Amino acid sequence: MANKSKQIVWGVRREGRTLWTRNAVKGVSVRGERRKRDGRIEWRRWDPTRSKVAAAILRTRDDPSTLLPNPGSTCLYLGASSGGTVSHIHDFVCGVDNHHGGQLVAVEISPRMVRDLVKLSDRRPGLVPVLGDARKPEQVAAFIRGKANWIHQDLSIADQAETFVKMATSFLAPGGIGILSLKAASERSSEGDDNSRFQKAERILMESDLLLQERIDLKGLEEQHVVFTCSSSTGN
Amino acid sequence: MKIIFDWRLSRVVDEQGNIVDEIFWDGQKSPSSVANRLLKIQQGRLIPEVKTLSERFPEAQIDPIGVLSEPNWPRWDESEEVFQRATLLLARMGVADSSRDMDRRLEMLVSATLEARSSWVAAESRCIEWAGLFITEADLDSQRHEIPQSIASSGTIAEASEKLGVSPPKHMPSDSEWSSMVSHASSVTSSSMILEKLEDSIREIATNHMPSLSELLGPISAAKMVSLAGGRERLARMPSGSLQVLGAHAAMSAHRRGAPPPKHGSILFSMPQVSRSPRWVRGKIARYLAGKASIAVRVDHFDGETWGKSQIDEINSEIEAIKAKFPKPPKRS
Repeated sequence: MANKSKQIVWGVRREGRTLWTRNAVKGVSVRGERRKRDGRIEWRRWDPTRSKVAAAILRTRDDPSTLLPNPGSTCLYLGASSGGTVSHIHDFVCGVDNHHGGQLVAVEISPRMVRDLVKLSDRRPGLVPVLGDARKPEQVAAFIRGKANWIHQDLSIADQAETFVKMATSFLAPGGIGILSLKAASERSSEGDDNSRFQKAERILMESDLLLQERIDLKGLEEQHVVFTCSSSTGN
Repeated sequence: MKIIFDWRLSRVVDEQGNIVDEIFWDGQKSPSSVANRLLKIQQGRLIPEVKTLSERFPEAQIDPIGVLSEPNWPRWDESEEVFQRATLLLARMGVADSSRDMDRRLEMLVSATLEARSSWVAAESRCIEWAGLFITEADLDSQRHEIPQSIASSGTIAEASEKLGVSPPKHMPSDSEWSSMVSHASSVTSSSMILEKLEDSIREIATNHMPSLSELLGPISAAKMVSLAGGRERLARMPSGSLQVLGAHAAMSAHRRGAPPPKHGSILFSMPQVSRSPRWVRGKIARYLAGKASIAVRVDHFDGETWGKSQIDEINSEIEAIKAKFPKPPKRS
């Protein structure tokens, strides 16, 4: 890859306004994204208009590497959908045949989406598809090997912030990162405009035991969405 | 004292974190047996080892997520592969199980019918206009239903005219034009058949899945209502006010911005009790029917006693009473 590209963490590169992850399954695009070769390595384009995590990395004012899990860590993805973003996270947390020894638990409630997720997991060891309710810790606990270093929640339900606080309290390891993608349209329609909904979510996060790091507006990449990044309070 | 566990090991620990007792699972580590244990844990049922420990230590609390905070829980690198395969198996089983859900099956039928109907309406009216262009003497209103069939089953346009009992057209379509007309007409007749089949199966499933609601609204409307609500359970948990405006999504969002509220959604309006009533009682009847429909779907969902004809007759006479009570439109003030 050209010199102007910059590594964010192992397996993730930024090139101008585009992101690339090191493809763990060579020769395969998950949802038709571009691939390119660089010697023996193949990179897969991580589209920020289709992935809120990618959008957050481009938009954050912090060091983008603080938003991403390290290779080999334990990750929990709530609301995995058909696994677009999940596949990119898997690329660098697990790598080819999970040589990093990571674990990425992807929870999704819709059988239609889990169907695609299973297909993805077939070729990606370390990726654990779970058909279950991402709001219920008991439904997830059996599948994760320990507390998670990285949690991302992307659910289209009301009370996203409350759910996130509950799940992060149960699952986030000390020093771990929690990312909440908040969709304004999913919150209760009676409570004011988008901005007041975002503010309400922000308040809930600030009152919780999590430490709110940053609120990232995704305008231009993903409408009506903001991403909150949090870290677990130190100690326990 | 608490009991913590994962699929391999169950353990009793005291307040100081000391291990009081533990049982390893000694079953065969095959993907399917592991998948069964994971499913049990996910559904909140107790695995045998936890049961045993709980009998040994009745005072110990069972903590389903406690294992995550346990610092000296053994790592299980050697069984990683069987675990991975078990989770795939479990997810596949769950996906396969989703076809048991009658709500999903009804949803497919309702959506298929909706789409089939809208394409049928377009194709059918095109077929009529097309035939009418040539066969000018046919009555496009009274003979409407015969036209697609007559075109589809004829060898020439003269034959089709004969079947419709009118004289042949003045100008003939070319051979390829006529053959296109015939194929188009037969697609119309076959989609009518498909529509009938779809609606028959909706009727069959709806009368089984929500008998009372089907008795009250008719099986097709009942099925549409369930599919709009996103399942029978969700419909059963809805307040009757939401049920009343199901299918009036645009009107409801206009109402949130200050417009007057809708009197009824599209499904209740399709009921003759509502649409054939005078304008000024429609809202009252829709509200009454919505209330009854919400009771009916609760009866169906929560295993109540299914409604029969007598309950429906009672409801209909109550509707007549509402109409009789308001024979004249309210005076405008």
